Amino acid sequence: MSEFQIQLKTNDGQTLSFACDPEEDLVSAAEKENIFLAAQCHAGSCGACIAHHESGDYRLGECSTDALTAADIAQQQVLLCRTYPQSDLMMTLPYAYSVVRFEKMPEREAEIVAKTYLTEDTVKLDLQLLPDEDESLSLDFEPGQFMEVHIPGDEAGAKRAYSLANAPNWDGSLEFLIKLRENGQFSTFLDKTAEAGMKLRLDGPMGTFMLQDHGLRPRYFVAGGCGLASVMSMLRRMAEWDEPHPVKLFFGVWSESDIFFQQEIEALAAEYPKLEYQLCVTEPSDSWQGYRGSVVAAFEAALKAEKGKPDIYICGSPGLIEGIADVAAVCGVDRSELIYERYLANTQPTGATRCEVVAPQS
Amino acid sequence: MFCYQCEQTMRSDVQDGCYTDKGVCGKTAETSDLQDILIYQVKGIAQYAQLARGLGVVDVAVDDFIQFAIFTTLTNVNFTSARFVSLVQQAAEVRNSIKDKYLAAALLKGVEAEVPMGPAQFDPAADMDNILKQESVAIVNKDHDIIGEDANGLKMLILYGMKGVCAYSHHARMLGYRQDDIDAEIERILTYLTSNPTDIEDLLNQALSAGHLNLKVMDLLDRANNETFGNQEPTQVRVTPVAGKCLLVSGHDLHDMHQILEQTKDMGINVYTHGEMLPAHAYPGLKKYPHLAGNYGGAWQDQQREFAEFPGPIVLTSNCIIEPAKNYRQRIFTTGPVGWPGVRHIEGGNYKPLIQAAKALPGFKADEEEKTITTGFGHHTVLGVADKVIDAVKSGAIKHFFMIGGCDGAKPGRNYYTELAEKTPDDTIMMTLGCNKFRFNKEEFGDIGGIPRLLDMGQCNDAFSAIKVATELANAFECGVNDLPLSLMVSWFEQKATAVLLALLAAGVKGIHLGPSLPPYLTSNLLAVLVERFDIRVNGTAEADLEKALGHAVA
Repeated sequence: MSEFQIQLKTNDGQTLSFACDPEEDLVSAAEKENIFLAAQCHAGSCGACIAHHESGDYRLGECSTDALTAADIAQQQVLLCRTYPQSDLMMTLPYAYSVVRFEKMPEREAEIVAKTYLTEDTVKLDLQLLPDEDESLSLDFEPGQFMEVHIPGDEAGAKRAYSLANAPNWDGSLEFLIKLRENGQFSTFLDKTAEAGMKLRLDGPMGTFMLQDHGLRPRYFVAGGCGLASVMSMLRRMAEWDEPHPVKLFFGVWSESDIFFQQEIEALAAEYPKLEYQLCVTEPSDSWQGYRGSVVAAFEAALKAEKGKPDIYICGSPGLIEGIADVAAVCGVDRSELIYERYLANTQPTGATRCEVVAPQS
Repeated sequence: MFCYQCEQTMRSDVQDGCYTDKGVCGKTAETSDLQDILIYQVKGIAQYAQLARGLGVVDVAVDDFIQFAIFTTLTNVNFTSARFVSLVQQAAEVRNSIKDKYLAAALLKGVEAEVPMGPAQFDPAADMDNILKQESVAIVNKDHDIIGEDANGLKMLILYGMKGVCAYSHHARMLGYRQDDIDAEIERILTYLTSNPTDIEDLLNQALSAGHLNLKVMDLLDRANNETFGNQEPTQVRVTPVAGKCLLVSGHDLHDMHQILEQTKDMGINVYTHGEMLPAHAYPGLKKYPHLAGNYGGAWQDQQREFAEFPGPIVLTSNCIIEPAKNYRQRIFTTGPVGWPGVRHIEGGNYKPLIQAAKALPGFKADEEEKTITTGFGHHTVLGVADKVIDAVKSGAIKHFFMIGGCDGAKPGRNYYTELAEKTPDDTIMMTLGCNKFRFNKEEFGDIGGIPRLLDMGQCNDAFSAIKVATELANAFECGVNDLPLSLMVSWFEQKATAVLLALLAAGVKGIHLGPSLPPYLTSNLLAVLVERFDIRVNGTAEADLEKALGHAVA
């Protein structure tokens, strides 16, 4: 069977080349040549391997419509893990060359330090990494990235992906915010079994949702539920480095009982006065004194009042991303300028905040 | 984007220079354009600063800003758009401040205030997108078609030489050394560049003025280094690691080096020098720290491999950063004018984050077999044994001196310097400075009557030492510098080397071998002038150039 030449251009102008036959997907073909692209589920479900089609013919396998939306398809986007070449192909990647790995993802071991219920179904999981083979404790991650946690005892090797909520550090402490899903495999483990001292295996870091250098534009962060994790990591890094950008955080939850991390956000704003934040409760009780309404509405009001064009970071459900994208477009910010990561809670009956392998939807 | 300030710039039959979406150095078009705008603004600040100076108003903070801002635009210094947007906004404030002081002084003295044109009137937009739209007024070679390629080439030579001048001056200022006449001359030459000069003779004279200025600046920096830390002395430097926690300091800035040594003392962290920081080992005020453990790695262009293998954090203090690879990006820190997006920048000399990283990272697990090199042959040392050197020349034991200096680079033609060093006859002395020595400085060259054949004089700015030694030798032999059995083999890569070259020309040194390739802005007409007036020699083969220098074939 003849092979086709594939060229992937990173957003900083570098090109990756490899061969791929028509029955093989691009992510797998790249990995055969030790090019590890941003990808996670390898099954068209999570959207982590999204790229832009430039030239050549291809066949697109089945994908989740949340991972590759109609709007994505209209903009010539593909998921590389479901893309099968029918000719030589050229694609552009929405991330820099430095994000691509040329060796397998390292596996680390960590110990559970604490499990804290923030709400009835939201858990903060604190882990301490154990030293790696070089006796280093730290994990080399960028704020916004996530780890895959191996589900203890799962013989099939199932993993769940969770974003880190703390800033990169040298002592190997990792903090995750996890939404417990009913009957979710890791959720059940976390709720019923996990306790301090237990060990977990993790792969990563992964993901391309990272801070971008676009001058001193204001930075807007929009987070829905546990999407706050990656946003907190970014904000904590910005505070630690005392970054000069004006910053606005919009954190949305459904009801007051879903609120978490309010004290942490307040503390961060006290330490980093450039940070303004708005906690948005969509359906509050009568006694709620704060902002009443959706995070999209709060974002819209702020964006309309903004003089320039901010960088917009979004982490949440596909619905949140689409809502923000629609509002941003009306205000002159093109969808292609948004920096976002969607987690696909509605397609994940087992409880991952990000995604897992599910039957793709046609 | 258009940039051709360094030696590695893209070359083609169509056009020399980086003009696509990214420079060879890794600079994005966005960053390059912001740098052009900042340079344009700095010229505008210089216009007002010069006028103010004429009325007796001198603002040191303005000169600090001019020199620091220009330093950020040298090759391999700062790649961070956010920093440049901030500097562009700051530049507008600085211009307004010195303009207000000038207008107030004019009013006070009852003189009519001048209104300088061009850069002095430029106001940047409020945000990056709109600042970038203003780039057309500031693009570095925008006058090329108006003033012609020869005049434009000389303007570039002056501008890039001034970048080196400002960088060296900034290093001296970090140690508290500044001179008003230097600041005034920087302002004057930057203002001159705003005047669209076309007279080739005048431009040549201004280029030599920049060279004279750099002689003064290198002298000042030499005094700053030697008076602050004691005179360089010959020092054996370990070039293999010792077991233990570690951190690596790269770049040129001895002030930063001193702060890091002071803040890490008694912490069990070994501090290593990298690249141009090697001469730090020779200064008594720095070598007194027992945890200054050694020199690690080679020249700057090998950093992506060497930094990946270094088991501790790395801090870059000046013009040497290239894109940090993923496997060591988290361990990289920058300070001073340096920056890379997503890399931790240390402000205000507080190296706590660096120290925290050094404590957390594994460090070297074991001692490697001890190997050393020697550095510290500054002018104080060499002239301290001048009698011995002079006797050796008179007796014929030393037949020739080679000064091999300048910067290293990644292009293949630079093996020339290794070949040259290896082929120098045993009765010759090599004086090295800058980082191109890393191609051969771990080789054994022996000595001549106790005088090592390879004398490392220090950093590229220590070209001042070489000039001083050459001048003293010429005095001793009652001849001119150009009559000495001395050949200068200069490799250029970036703008500090351009400034050094101009300084050597201003000092009247002739017959300099320049390579590995010539700056693209030097037209054939300009090269002809330099050959005619200064006997500039373009690198040939190492063997042929040695033969030319020695007047006979080498064995």
